[in-house]
Amino acid sequence: MQGKAREPARGTAVDSAPPHPRIRAVGRALPEHYADQETLIAAFRDAWAGAHFNVERLEELHRAVQVSGRHLALPLAAYRDLRSFAQRNDAWTAAAVNLGETAVREALRRAGLAPADVGHLFFVSTTGIATPSIDARLVNRLGLAPGVRRSPLFGLGCAGGAAGVARAADYLRAWPEQVAVVLAVELCSLTLQREDVSIPNIISSGLFGDGAAAVVLAGGARDAADGSLAPAVVATGSVFYPDTERVMGWDIVESGFKVVLSAKVPEVVRTHVRADVDGFLAGHGLARADIRHWIAHTGGPRVLEAFESALELPEGALARSWTSLRQTGNLSSASVLFVLGELLDSGEGEAGDNGLLLAMGPGFGAELVLLRW
Amino acid sequence: MPDARDRILGEIRRIFADELEFTGPVEPHHVLATDLELDSMGALVLAVGLEDRFRVALAEGDAAAVVTVADLVALVERAVAAAADGGEPRPEGGRTAR
Repeated sequence: MQGKAREPARGTAVDSAPPHPRIRAVGRALPEHYADQETLIAAFRDAWAGAHFNVERLEELHRAVQVSGRHLALPLAAYRDLRSFAQRNDAWTAAAVNLGETAVREALRRAGLAPADVGHLFFVSTTGIATPSIDARLVNRLGLAPGVRRSPLFGLGCAGGAAGVARAADYLRAWPEQVAVVLAVELCSLTLQREDVSIPNIISSGLFGDGAAAVVLAGGARDAADGSLAPAVVATGSVFYPDTERVMGWDIVESGFKVVLSAKVPEVVRTHVRADVDGFLAGHGLARADIRHWIAHTGGPRVLEAFESALELPEGALARSWTSLRQTGNLSSASVLFVLGELLDSGEGEAGDNGLLLAMGPGFGAELVLLRW
Repeated sequence: MPDARDRILGEIRRIFADELEFTGPVEPHHVLATDLELDSMGALVLAVGLEDRFRVALAEGDAAAVVTVADLVALVERAVAAAADGGEPRPEGGRTAR
């Protein structure tokens, strides 16, 4: 990797002009199936023992990620029957439509809007593929307008939720009368390669869970139906880290997606995030001390610790990210949207507050979204 | 046991090159954390690889004293010798299927 911290390149930040797009609501959906961490460890133990001498070390590794359990797209016993990519992806398509529908309906309900109000649906995922894409299938399921724009975004990994919000805000700057929905569905359990007993895969099998989140954004020309305080997307920023393609991603194998997860992820965060955040905020006359709400992707304990130390965050600043990590594991692109939903539910945002939503993902790169209440 | 040391050092070099994608030289005097940029996950990959190859369990407490590659070679060498002498080859409850 390129180890030196760099000044963010010019042009990475996109300013909005008032009236800004606003985040009206977040809907969250978790699959009904759930397994606690010890149950999952027991399910993996035999596969590990076939390949590794000291299985207890691996069990401790699963406990060290500080996840108490995961929601699963399928009942635990059903995963044994998934052997081919086709089987895994078929299961992903069926579950993604169901879970996505639930998340979007919940987000629209919270926003006081109807499916027919949606002008653009952004669908974000990195854990499965489909054509017609999941957004198309949801047009039918939800009864979206025939004129709805659709943008499926595949491959952004954990950064996809933040990137989706940023792209939706871009769209609403051009069409301020419209409503956009960002839906992130990640069914990480359906990508798991049981035959892959590498440490990165074992860590992934302990860390990643399944879930979906939908964000409703409205253009600045639309007033909230109930006059409630909604955070505005004031600016967005992207930072790409050259020559870091092997930090995180997939190797495509016959049986599906095999995880690439370098030991360097927390190091990349530590190396870059401070300069990137400071540069992004400075471009808007702000410093870290001006940010009251930190909405950080729940990458894992090491990543959250790296955020906390590199950004010198006050104690408790990432409490919602830590709680989300413990409750559901890392939901890839959906995770940061779950944290955003928890923040909105808390009602802690007050007029004039600044918030920074940030996530990093394969590329490797960072997505930054500046919010103002 | 120079042969054993060479085999252990060779395995450490293989793990750094093949599994940790470290492209530089790996010599006995190198400090793992700094010279070889070994972080916590890398240390885990290294420990598991050595345990699998030499069929020993490396205790967390012993790992704390490991600073250099030579320290690690010595730790594995002691664990191999202890296992050969009928000591604990693996932790209580650990299982192996091969």
